[in-house]
Amino acid sequence: MPGSDAFRALKWLSRSSGGLLSGAETTTQRCLAKPLSRSMATEAQSPIDNLTREVPKPVWNPEPVKATTYSFPSMEPLRFVEYPRNHLLMPLRKDILHRAVVYEGDMTRQGTASTKWRDDVHGSGRKLYAQKGTGRARVGDKKSPIRRGGGVAFGPHPRDFSTGLPQKIYDQAWRIALSYRYKRGQLIIVDNEITLPEDATPHLITEIFKANRWGRPFGRSTLITDQPNESLFETVRQVGEHAKILDRRDVDVKDLLETGRLIIEKQALDRILSQHSKDLKNKPAKALY
Amino acid sequence: MPPRLQLLPFQWQRPSTLSTILTSFLHPQSRNAHILASLSDTPGAYNKRIRRGRGPASGKGKTSGRGHKGQKQHGKVPAGFNGGQTPDIVVHGERGGVNVHATDLAPINLDRIQSWIDQGRIDATRPITVRELTQSRCIHQPKEGVKLLGRGVEKDDHEIPISSVLKQPIHLVVSRASSAAIAAVEAAGGSVTTRFYTKSAIARIMRREMHPFVSMQWNKESASAGLLGTETGEQGALTEAMVMREMGFKYRLPDPTKRRDIEYYRDPAHRGYLSHLLKPLEGPSLFFRSPVERKSAAGVKKEKILPENRLW
Repeated sequence: MPGSDAFRALKWLSRSSGGLLSGAETTTQRCLAKPLSRSMATEAQSPIDNLTREVPKPVWNPEPVKATTYSFPSMEPLRFVEYPRNHLLMPLRKDILHRAVVYEGDMTRQGTASTKWRDDVHGSGRKLYAQKGTGRARVGDKKSPIRRGGGVAFGPHPRDFSTGLPQKIYDQAWRIALSYRYKRGQLIIVDNEITLPEDATPHLITEIFKANRWGRPFGRSTLITDQPNESLFETVRQVGEHAKILDRRDVDVKDLLETGRLIIEKQALDRILSQHSKDLKNKPAKALY
Repeated sequence: MPPRLQLLPFQWQRPSTLSTILTSFLHPQSRNAHILASLSDTPGAYNKRIRRGRGPASGKGKTSGRGHKGQKQHGKVPAGFNGGQTPDIVVHGERGGVNVHATDLAPINLDRIQSWIDQGRIDATRPITVRELTQSRCIHQPKEGVKLLGRGVEKDDHEIPISSVLKQPIHLVVSRASSAAIAAVEAAGGSVTTRFYTKSAIARIMRREMHPFVSMQWNKESASAGLLGTETGEQGALTEAMVMREMGFKYRLPDPTKRRDIEYYRDPAHRGYLSHLLKPLEGPSLFFRSPVERKSAAGVKKEKILPENRLW
């Protein structure tokens, strides 16, 4: 579908601040402005003036990222909000995302698998029959790992599978995952709280998803609220085919990448970003008095 | 699939056939490769596991890197085993060891302190103690105390310092100090006081449960007027009772009980906080008494009165 791809690319370019289009615009303006401002008379500039003149230092002052917020059920665009570029315009680093997802997966493993070694199996340690004279192979007790009902040799035992990841890398992974969603236009920021009326049925939420093209044919959606809201969560769980809902504390990097898009409360997004930007604050430590 | 840029204008592009248009209408969503399926670490960031005994092409196939025949091929050889000859450790005995009685101190040099002051991370007008040094990350970790060293002091051929590292007077309280560091600080008009710390005391100082230097045996003669002046404003008003009452500390800072520690902090050469306890002519040692005390203990010697015709 080259047509739809191209349209999306165009949308993406025009939306992102400081994108290609805005850059081109300024260039054309500069090209036009220069010949107009030049005076007809030729002015001789003194060479000393050229030498002593201070060269202006180039200042890299990128514009912040602009995102639109919406009101929840109606999905009307409300206003623009700005975020720093190192929050929502991080370059995609698949290696960092991979490390974060593996780290979370390791941490989530229960590690409770447990088997019994021959000492742990219930039973006597009595020798089954005499060492010699029976004509049969020599044996010890019933609990030997080579016998049925015996212990398990080299079986699993409870252990901790969790691995480590430097906090700064994990923080980066969060911002990279959110930036990935933002750049693809899959980060929908809700200005108010995501709520439904008290007597709402799953039908309402299905209709909302159908109208906004958020459902299963469009790759499902993840709703993220700032606070857990039991009735809303229950309603959304009933249409789990189309959506999944999490509160901010439950979200992992993997959840951000899983479904087609994120529908996130602005407050939740702000808190996630502020929690995961500790690596950006690099002021030297000072003595406190 | 990430969005592709359409660089050519629409007229110049290859016209799309009817079937592609139809399919694009029939299936409105594009099914992209999911990002979770394409995540991987940079290939150079990890090593592939060596699979031993998996054929000649693996390079570790036939003998799995264990060579031919013998105990090493089949299992383990005991550490230190010398082929049946008396092991080295039996012939020559054990060597080396760890001094469990050593005090593990964090070294801190004067040039580093000056650099921290220049950066505004330490206030030179207030006492510099283990708390300030650790909070500003001037020392990485206060182990069992801090030792002040005099790096950065330039000396001439006769080991006499010619320039100062310090640009302003500073008042320090540390566990120990080298003589060069003491000389450099005092030349700049500041003061060094050494005092006793333990590991747990430092942990509590860092939690602000303990005063960084005032203890039961600390009194106004323990440190120079400069240190106390910067802390209290009025001279010598800082006592342990006052500190506990007014500053709300939970614990008392301990004083030394070991002979060696007491002797170190009684020494005026170390600028110890107990050096004011020394009597006139007395040394820091607890074993040798002062000459004054020795005389009085021996009692008053009788003056021999000789008759006039005797010389002795």
